[in-house]
Amino acid sequence: MRRIVPLLTSVVFAGALAMSFQAKAASNKPILIGLDTPIQHQVGKDTVAAVKMAVEEINAKGGVLGRKLAYVVADEGVDPQLGVSAINKLTSDDHVNVLIGGYSSGVTLAEEPHIAQSKTIWIGVGSASPNITALVGKDYDKYKYIFRVNPLNSALQAAQIVDFAKNVVKDQLGRDKVAILGESAIWVRGLVPVLVKGLEANGMKVTYQQLFDESMNDFTPLFARVKDSGAKYLLVILSHANSDVFVKQLYEARLPMPYGGIDVKSMTPNFCSRVNGAAVGETTVNFITRAPITPKTIPFWDKFVKENGRAPVYTAPGAYNSVYLYAWAVEKAGTTDADPVIKQLEKADYLGVGGKIKFNKVHDDIDGPGYQNLLFVQWQKDCTRQVVWPKELATGKIMLPPWVK
Amino acid sequence: MGGAVLVGLLAAAPPLLHNQYFTGVFIVCAIEAIWAASWNFFSGLTGRENFGTALFIGGGAYTAAFFNSTFGLNAWWSIPGGIVVAVVLGLVVGFPTLRLKGPYFALATLASAAIMQQVAINLWQYTGGSEGIYGLDRLVDSSLGYYYFVLAVLLATVLVLSLIAHSRWGTILRAIKGDETACQAAGINVTVYKIASLALSAAFAGLGGVLFAHYQQAVTPDDFDVFLSISVIIMAYVGGIGSIWGAAVGGILLNLMLELLRGMGEYRLLVYYLILMVVLFFMRSGVVVPLWRRLSGGRSA
Amino acid sequence: MLTVLIYGAVTSAILAMLAVGFTLIFGVARILNLAHGAFYALGAYCTYSLTATYKVPLIVAALASVALVALFGMAMERVLVRPQRQSSLAVLMITLMVALTVEQVLFVVFGSQSKNVPAFINFPVYLHGVSLDGQRLLALAVAVCLIGALWLFIQRTRLGSAILAISQDPEAAQYMGIPANRIFSLVMGLSAALAGAAGVIAGPFLSVRPTMDQTAMITAFSVVIVGGLGSIPGSILAALIIGYSETFVAFYLNPEWTGTVSLVAILLTLVLRPAGLMGRAVGA
Repeated sequence: MRRIVPLLTSVVFAGALAMSFQAKAASNKPILIGLDTPIQHQVGKDTVAAVKMAVEEINAKGGVLGRKLAYVVADEGVDPQLGVSAINKLTSDDHVNVLIGGYSSGVTLAEEPHIAQSKTIWIGVGSASPNITALVGKDYDKYKYIFRVNPLNSALQAAQIVDFAKNVVKDQLGRDKVAILGESAIWVRGLVPVLVKGLEANGMKVTYQQLFDESMNDFTPLFARVKDSGAKYLLVILSHANSDVFVKQLYEARLPMPYGGIDVKSMTPNFCSRVNGAAVGETTVNFITRAPITPKTIPFWDKFVKENGRAPVYTAPGAYNSVYLYAWAVEKAGTTDADPVIKQLEKADYLGVGGKIKFNKVHDDIDGPGYQNLLFVQWQKDCTRQVVWPKELATGKIMLPPWVK
Repeated sequence: MGGAVLVGLLAAAPPLLHNQYFTGVFIVCAIEAIWAASWNFFSGLTGRENFGTALFIGGGAYTAAFFNSTFGLNAWWSIPGGIVVAVVLGLVVGFPTLRLKGPYFALATLASAAIMQQVAINLWQYTGGSEGIYGLDRLVDSSLGYYYFVLAVLLATVLVLSLIAHSRWGTILRAIKGDETACQAAGINVTVYKIASLALSAAFAGLGGVLFAHYQQAVTPDDFDVFLSISVIIMAYVGGIGSIWGAAVGGILLNLMLELLRGMGEYRLLVYYLILMVVLFFMRSGVVVPLWRRLSGGRSA
Repeated sequence: MLTVLIYGAVTSAILAMLAVGFTLIFGVARILNLAHGAFYALGAYCTYSLTATYKVPLIVAALASVALVALFGMAMERVLVRPQRQSSLAVLMITLMVALTVEQVLFVVFGSQSKNVPAFINFPVYLHGVSLDGQRLLALAVAVCLIGALWLFIQRTRLGSAILAISQDPEAAQYMGIPANRIFSLVMGLSAALAGAAGVIAGPFLSVRPTMDQTAMITAFSVVIVGGLGSIPGSILAALIIGYSETFVAFYLNPEWTGTVSLVAILLTLVLRPAGLMGRAVGA
């Protein structure tokens, strides 16, 4: 018994010390950015790459308030519980000054109480559910730390999809019967009702709609139903779902209609080639493309491609903008204390790489001329991409998938 | 008593290190210890392998989510609610399958947890699907306070289950493990004992699930996942099959190890599984209890 | 209507390919191999890797993948399972750990994105005016051939009789001089090869992600339980029942619930007739 006590003591304390040493490593000087992002997914990898780029640029110009920026990454995966653990690590162990990240709305929503408790500013770059920022309105004092720079929340996205549907699908392609297929995630459930109402208000008919769990991997029965419903265009709302399989099976089934919508996986530059060209004809939403949306867009795009060997997905411009925006706010506030920085962020009207960034009353980014908007990009021949809407930024005309007459 | 010292250590460690993240890790360790102890009470004593502890854990967790987040009841109602639901699940699964010989009980528990996971995903209008339900309240607001609460529950669990395991009930369960037919011949209602024990095991597992849900403040279908069931079995293995407190310590050690491996980034789970495989392969009578026995000079535990 | 008929047949065929191997190794060696789904995943990933990274022609990659998976299975049996054979719990645990480890290795090496396994047949086939995916038809044909070949092997060859003997009475078979351990290895190799082949042939049209072993495992499980642990004809029959039930649910009810069909089948079987359709009777 006398021998067991010291043994067990050392085991417990060894563990404790090991963990506290991990925390000690962070010194007090640099301003620390915590990234909660799914590191095994493209959206996560690009978040980190973009933050790295921004941090290096700002540090090269002298940093913020004379201090350098640094960042630390914690994997939140697409699992709410892993996300909570990541937030706890970043805030309680690494003591970061600001959190940047997010992708899955379910994860963000589970993390929010923990973020609020830690009184750390969080800037969202990937999750779209309106519920995330709604909390700011419901309990400002608790949730004022939450901001979203990217993407547009799903209700705004729905409105812009309606715009695309009316002007391109209905007016250009002459198709007014639409089917909707989407994953059953929280951000989609907030989007579809707004979408349906908007479509119907613009003289279009929704002949079939079905949401399915993101783990679904055989869509052929769904395509049969879409076809049977008399639809002439298929709107898709996909993010975590198996887009590769979806697109491949759609191609195999030769679904007799053009299709498009939100397909996050399709934003990845190699998506079309990795499904052997089956995606030709799919139109998807993008937040950035190599076009002069603002004077900063093309320099950002080119530098990102040069440093990473691939084109960025939507979380990259968001993350890049967030670092700069935060740095600007801290400079203006003269401190990294949360409350003064929040006041500055609320007043921001900042020119980012995809448009101007301004927050509404619940700290959500707004859309509109000059601000951030959706681009509709289509995979065309040989897996090249063309912007087909909005007209001002279009680089090509929309085409029908090769097998559709 | 060595046990008292260990408890004292566990109680003192978090405030001494003044690190909220670390406290959180220990909260989860303690909850996993509760699960491991509950598993060992049934499967360790009767030898009937329960491969679906996650069924009870998830049952408790989702009950907490429905009561507190969906229906807005006070968080403390989750405890009786979760326990009742877990017990019911235990009875539903145990009743038809405990009377069978062979791997059927193990398979049935495995399948039941998988079914509940699928149901939680498919009924997404009510359960939030893959993203689950968020917005649960903490049972105790401060992290340290929550830790002491969970620690108290863990101690109670180990005490209660150990007492029962050393009582006549426990002896009968061990006899059933040895020779079921002989027990039946001796006039013992084997089925009642097995089902009652499973229900008790389920109750504690469900209680752990409730505590977990209120700590994370979110539940997801992963609370029914087979990996969770397997983790619990491995904790009991590491602790020494048949020992309640050994399983609890095993739970703490394994979870601690998993957190320490966070530095391995993408390789975290891979390394964890490899370590577990080695443990499984080479230390079949466990780590904690044999170690204790050896170091305390061969005294009975 | 024809679509549903063919679709159901293809689904059943893949299920049968997965289930037959699983039930075979249980019937012969009493091993509940929870790593079976991992063989399926490895078959698909091996083919992907050989064709994408090493530019090996598809047919060579396919055959090599099946062979590699078979070897992997045999190695696993020899090194990890055989020493633990006395405890069924230990076998369950160690095979499950192998499955989880393989999953993690796939995550780390290939990432979490879906991978594109090339198909043998890339164009649709037209039958009675209905367009059917060529690769799916090929999968159906391959499954039928392989299972048929396996059946003939077991029924008509000496080695096959040895396998049957071991599964019916291991001790007697050993007295007769049949080398049990070598038979176990062989059967494990066959079992893994079947599962790997399923991955190769179905990978092109089903989802190829590190977690694909989980769904494969659960469905193989359900077919084997419903058909009866250890019975190959039982597995084939159960595969047809479950395959067509899933197809019916997908096309006429709600595609979301296809995953639950197999799970419900397991529970019903365990409650009503645990031995399965054609298994040996089990009782208290």
